[in-house]
Amino acid sequence: MRAGESADLFAPDVPERPARPVPRKTVTPPRPVAPAAAAQALCAELWLGVQVVVGEAPPAQEPSSALTRLATLALRLTPRVALAPPDGLLLEVRGSLHLFGAVEGLRREMHAACEQCGLRGTLAFAPTPLAALTAARAGQPLAVLDAAQLIGRLSPLPLTALRWPPRLLERLACIGVRTIGQALRLPRAGFAQRFGAAQRKDLDRLTGHAGDPRERFEARLRFRRRRELPFELDSRTALLAALGPLLAELEQFLEARQCGVLTLECRLWHRGHRPSRSTLRLAAPLADARRLEELLAERLGALSLPAPVHACELRSGLPVPRVALSGGLWQPGEQGGSPQAGAPQLIERLRARLGSEAIHGLACAQDHRPEAAWRATEPGERSGEGPGACRCAASPLWLLPSPRRLPERGGLPRYRGGLRLASEPERIETGWWDGAEVARDYYIALDSHGRRLWLFRERSPPHRWFLHGVFG
Amino acid sequence: MRAFCSSFPVSADLPEHGEALPPRGERPQDLARLLAHPALWRAGRAARLPVWPSGFPALDEGLPGGGWPQVGLIEILPSRLGVGELSLLMPVIAAVTRRPGARWCAWVAPSLQPFAPALEAFGVVLDRLLIVQASRSGARPLSLWAFEQALGSGACDVAFAWARQPCPRQIRRLHLAAQRGSTLGVLFRSRREAEQASQALLRVAVEPLEGGVRVTLLKSRGGARGAIDLKWAARAGPAERA
Repeated sequence: MRAGESADLFAPDVPERPARPVPRKTVTPPRPVAPAAAAQALCAELWLGVQVVVGEAPPAQEPSSALTRLATLALRLTPRVALAPPDGLLLEVRGSLHLFGAVEGLRREMHAACEQCGLRGTLAFAPTPLAALTAARAGQPLAVLDAAQLIGRLSPLPLTALRWPPRLLERLACIGVRTIGQALRLPRAGFAQRFGAAQRKDLDRLTGHAGDPRERFEARLRFRRRRELPFELDSRTALLAALGPLLAELEQFLEARQCGVLTLECRLWHRGHRPSRSTLRLAAPLADARRLEELLAERLGALSLPAPVHACELRSGLPVPRVALSGGLWQPGEQGGSPQAGAPQLIERLRARLGSEAIHGLACAQDHRPEAAWRATEPGERSGEGPGACRCAASPLWLLPSPRRLPERGGLPRYRGGLRLASEPERIETGWWDGAEVARDYYIALDSHGRRLWLFRERSPPHRWFLHGVFG
Repeated sequence: MRAFCSSFPVSADLPEHGEALPPRGERPQDLARLLAHPALWRAGRAARLPVWPSGFPALDEGLPGGGWPQVGLIEILPSRLGVGELSLLMPVIAAVTRRPGARWCAWVAPSLQPFAPALEAFGVVLDRLLIVQASRSGARPLSLWAFEQALGSGACDVAFAWARQPCPRQIRRLHLAAQRGSTLGVLFRSRREAEQASQALLRVAVEPLEGGVRVTLLKSRGGARGAIDLKWAARAGPAERA
């Protein structure tokens, strides 16, 4: 209905105004609804089922944590990873096929990841998660990429791979049903009545007739890993070597997220003492295990250990997105080489050993008081304030941290012998507004060694003399 | 003029041996070209190292190569802290930090606080400065460690350090680090340590004069020896009058 019509109906006396254009409701034609099969074909899933068995080498940790580790590693291949405890893992890999060299490439990557966790895995590809997992559990490394082939390829697999209760499997075996294909051929209603609706649902999920949502595996937000050492260590080199695997894991952890850490805490446990802690703070997000190890070495070097160490742990701060820079072709300082290439490493290494406040840059500040005319900045920070305000006729290159009181004789200051004043006084009188008021007369003086010193005399009554700088 | 050659037996004593030079008929400009060969080292003239002009022409004449070396460790031995050793280096710091693409100028364990307005008045670009406060005393000489890191990292153009009684072995190590990072390392030491052997390229003693300094070259590979008197200009950076 238009606005003009409503005006006619309810307020006929009102003179007709030019009606404002009102947007008409547009009728959208009904979109053709795609059939379920077509929609599924558009976003067909391909699942990689992994069934792991503990390898020959006894793992350092329990199988469940090994599975979690494997899942973390698998996040590199696809973001959709689901755990199928106690020994299964599921990955949705349709989008990853062309990135990792199709089925064979993915198999290679996944086998390598299993090996890294000390596990052996059977891998199977299928369009539904349960089918992939069942094939892997049956020990068949199938690769079914097409949903049409699924039932045919699954049929010969034994029913035991579905891990139904043993008594149920026995009853099925009694009527001669041992494979999945035979079970699928049984009438639906009768099967559900005699062997359970849950089992019938399992068969539907297996063939893709029922949905099978899986809970997505989320990796930990921060890295935290503890390692018990096989024997107690007190040598720092050995300790660093023991931290090596943890750092390598940290690197993988960060690589999977394309992040870096800004803080990293290292804890070392001793018998009968509180754990020693050492925290590394970085100038830029870092994920490189080798550089982290270098910095940690500096940090550990400064740490005094009360007793030998029996366990160590690494805890990262929140991962921060890392901006990858392209590496330089030339060495720093060479023709065309970036002059700043080595700068962050130098600053981080110095800070790791000396503490972060020990390294700073310099900038001028807008103040006439010499002690407030400069400030420490982050190295390389460009001060946007322009030239400083302290425009003394002569200012010394060295400033004392705080003015030093000088003894006097006959109203003239002394500093390891007599001083000779070599200039006219220069008055600095400012700062009355912030409580640190100064009223001083600055002089240049020569001492007995020929050095030029910067002195001042207070203008207020005691008229004391202070040494404030050396010209250098 | 006497000259020696390291690689092949050519004497530059032209009046006596000119006829012996192959081929016959060498002219002085050919000789100059020959002497400019980098493999040829003449006593009395240092190898052609890259240098930073010191800002004082009289000092440049005395220094090997005509300035402070760009790579390697040099020692400055002032009679007391603050007699003018830093002013002596101000022109080179200003020139180095003003260069486009300048690397850091690191100050390791300075004795006092460098005063930013004064540095700026000398023309130093402040954001290229890196101040490293390391304890100079104590069981572990952290200042020397930090100095070595700064020299060897390749991230600094110039690095200064104020160290207490470094031993010759440490100085050799620092010199090697400076060569690795292609950095000029300047080590400030006490004048009393002048007697100690040192691997430094250049050792310079600095004494105060009225309105200037006397620079004595104690050791300079291939440079002049002896004292050079320099005078500061009134303001805006010390200029020079020999």
